[in-house]
Formats: sequence, C-alpha cells, structure tokens
Amino acid sequence: MNIISCSINTLNGLYDISGVEVGQHLYWQIGSFQVHAQVLITSWVVIAILVGSAIIAVRNPQTIPTDGQNFFEYVLEFIRDVSKTQIGEEYGPWVPFIGTLFLFIFVSNWSGALLPWKIIQLPHGELAAPTNDINTTVALALLTSVAYFYAGLSKKGLGYFSKYIQPTPILLPINILEDFTKPLSLSFRLFGNILADELVVVVLVSLVPLVVPIPVMFLGLFTSGIQAIIFATLAAAYIGESMEGHH
Amino acid sequence: MKNVTDSFVSLGHWPPAGSFGFNTDIFATNLINLSVVLGVLIFFGKGVLSDLLDNRKKRILDTIRNSDELREGAIEQLEKARARLQKVETEADQFRTNGYSEIEQKKENLINSTYKILEQLENNKNETIQFEQQRAINQVRQQVFQQALQRALGDLNSCLDTELHLRTISANIGLFGVMKEIID
Repeated sequence: MNIISCSINTLNGLYDISGVEVGQHLYWQIGSFQVHAQVLITSWVVIAILVGSAIIAVRNPQTIPTDGQNFFEYVLEFIRDVSKTQIGEEYGPWVPFIGTLFLFIFVSNWSGALLPWKIIQLPHGELAAPTNDINTTVALALLTSVAYFYAGLSKKGLGYFSKYIQPTPILLPINILEDFTKPLSLSFRLFGNILADELVVVVLVSLVPLVVPIPVMFLGLFTSGIQAIIFATLAAAYIGESMEGHH
Repeated sequence: MKNVTDSFVSLGHWPPAGSFGFNTDIFATNLINLSVVLGVLIFFGKGVLSDLLDNRKKRILDTIRNSDELREGAIEQLEKARARLQKVETEADQFRTNGYSEIEQKKENLINSTYKILEQLENNKNETIQFEQQRAINQVRQQVFQQALQRALGDLNSCLDTELHLRTISANIGLFGVMKEIID
C-alpha cells in the first residue's frame, strides 16, 4: 500500500515536471504583441556572447594572429569556405548573412546544451536555447527566404521567375511550392532537432539524474553543431541557386 | 527504494511559479552532467582546437616568411636592375656628351673652315677691287694723258706760227751745232 502510494506520488511528481516543462512560456506584452520573454532573454545572452567575443577578438589585431584572433579568423575562414562552395564566385556580399546565421544558430544551440540555464527560475516556463522556440527558427528561415528572393531578383530582375517554368511549365505549381516550402523545412528542421534534443536530455535527467544523460548530451552537442552548419549551408545553397542560371 | 522514490518526489518539488529566482537544486538544474560535459569538451576540445590553431598560425607564419623571402628577392632584383639602369644611364650620358663634344668640335671646325673660305673670298674680293681700281686709275691716267697730248697737239697746232717755227728751227740748228762741236 505504501509502495503504491509512493509510486502514485512519483507519478504525480513526473506529471508536475512534464506539466511545467512543455508549452509554458513567460509572456511579455509589447504593444499588442505577446512575446516569449525567455527566448528574448536567451537570445540577448547569445548576442552578448557573440558581440563581446567579436569585440575582444578584433580589439587588438595583429599581423601574426594571437589566440583569440586566430580562432575567430579560423571561424571566418570556415564561413567563407561554406559560402564560397555553395554560392560560387559572387559569395562576397553574402558572407555576413551566412556567418550571422551560422554563428547565431551555433551559439544558441550550444548555449542550450552547455549553459546551466535552469539555475535561473522564471515565473513561467524556463530558459533554453533560443532555437528551441519555433518563432526564432521561423524568423531565421523567413530571413533566408527574403534573402534568396532578393538575391535572385536583384541578379536577374523579373527573369528570376522564369525558373518556375523550367525545365517544363508542367512543373510550375511544384516549383512555386518549392520556393515557399524552403523556409518551412528550414525552420522545422532546426526547431525539431533542437527541441527533441533538449527534451530527450530533460526527460533522461528527470528519470536518471546522473551519468546516463551525458552521452545524449554529447549527441545533442553534435546534432546542434550539425544543425547550425546545415542551416547555414542550405541558406547559402538557396541563395546560390537563385543567383545562378544559364545566360 | 524509498530513497529513490524520494529523489523522484523531490524532483517534483519545483519552487512555486510566479517570480524570478534561482533554482538551487543540483539535480534539477543538471549541473553535474553539464560540468562533466563541459569538462570533457574542454579536455579533448582544447587539444584539437589548439592543434588546429597552431597549424593555422604556422601556416600563416610560413606564408609570411615565404612572402618576405620573395619580397627580399624581388628587392634584390630591383636593386640589381636599378644598378644596371644607372650604369646604362651613365654610359648613355657619356655617349651623349661625347657625341655633343664631337658635334661641337665638328661645328667649330666647320665654322673655322667657313671663316677661312670667307677670308679667302674677302681677300679675293679685295684683290679684285684693287685690281679694278688700278685698272680704272690706269684707264683714267691714259685718258688724261691722251687728252693732255691732244690738247698739247692742239696747242702746238694752234700756237705754231712761222716765227716760232723759225725760232725753234734756229734753236735746234744751234743745238745741233753745239752737239756737233761737242762730238767733234
């Protein structure tokens, strides 16, 4: 009897946990908008990390790079490589955009996996990676969408839309659909991966607090990095795709 | 058993929602796992990252050294080329000055010879003028002489009357007589 009551208690506790964990947000009212404050807070932290480290890295530039500068130059080289392989010769103007996407998503994901956000207690919901919220990923994906539409239109003018009827006009609906499912797939891929990763870690932690979640956390780190690279690469690929074309 | 379930139950004891605050529950905040992950990440990642960065640094250093060497070589070549250019320039200057002096000399020579020819011509001219003058003087003299002779003849013709004739003849006769006496 005692045991049963205990287990009921436990189940209640677990229910409480899951009730707290999922779907609760800290809302702020800005104008007529309700915003998810926890996402904003973690985004600010991520932005602060990025801007701060960038400022520290470029504060005292040397010809022979010192540690911080060397690291950030390496990151920049990586981003340039990605954009160059995906976009092609005219990758220059797009490096900042691709780099911003990659760095923001990467630092967001890793902050969710590495920083002990849960130390800070919110009135509702909890702090987690900004990319854990669909609004962030949709915003990023829409920016990407705007970017590749802009790239295509500025490069080819209205001739950009001629790619919708290629190779044959029969594919017109599919081609149009494709352009609008790109942000959808981008945002859902990132959101799903990060949310799933964090949920798995949270569930494992709530079941077995020690040791067992560690491999999953490493997997989460790996997935987070991969997702950041995938998002940046795909964004660059879409931009390159809309800019390339037979003349 | 009791302990385990207790820990589960304690997991369920979240601080009451509604305010900002700190969660000090080590298990709920996942601190231990996070620190382990961070530690492993730093332990292994540091080596890899530092290797990577060292390689990059070395590559940059190599590139800089290479370009420095290339630069030095290029500077050396530039110096050589500059020296050669200077040499060639001095040679050209020499040639130019030589040529100038030669030309100058030739010019002088030419001027000198022209002067000589001019002088000669002048001389010739002077001689010719003198000659012409002489001739003109001679001519004038001759003319004057002729005129004088004619006038003398005219005078003689007009002045030679009988008495003078006789007187002259007698004088001549006297003269001849004297001459004859002397000869005798």
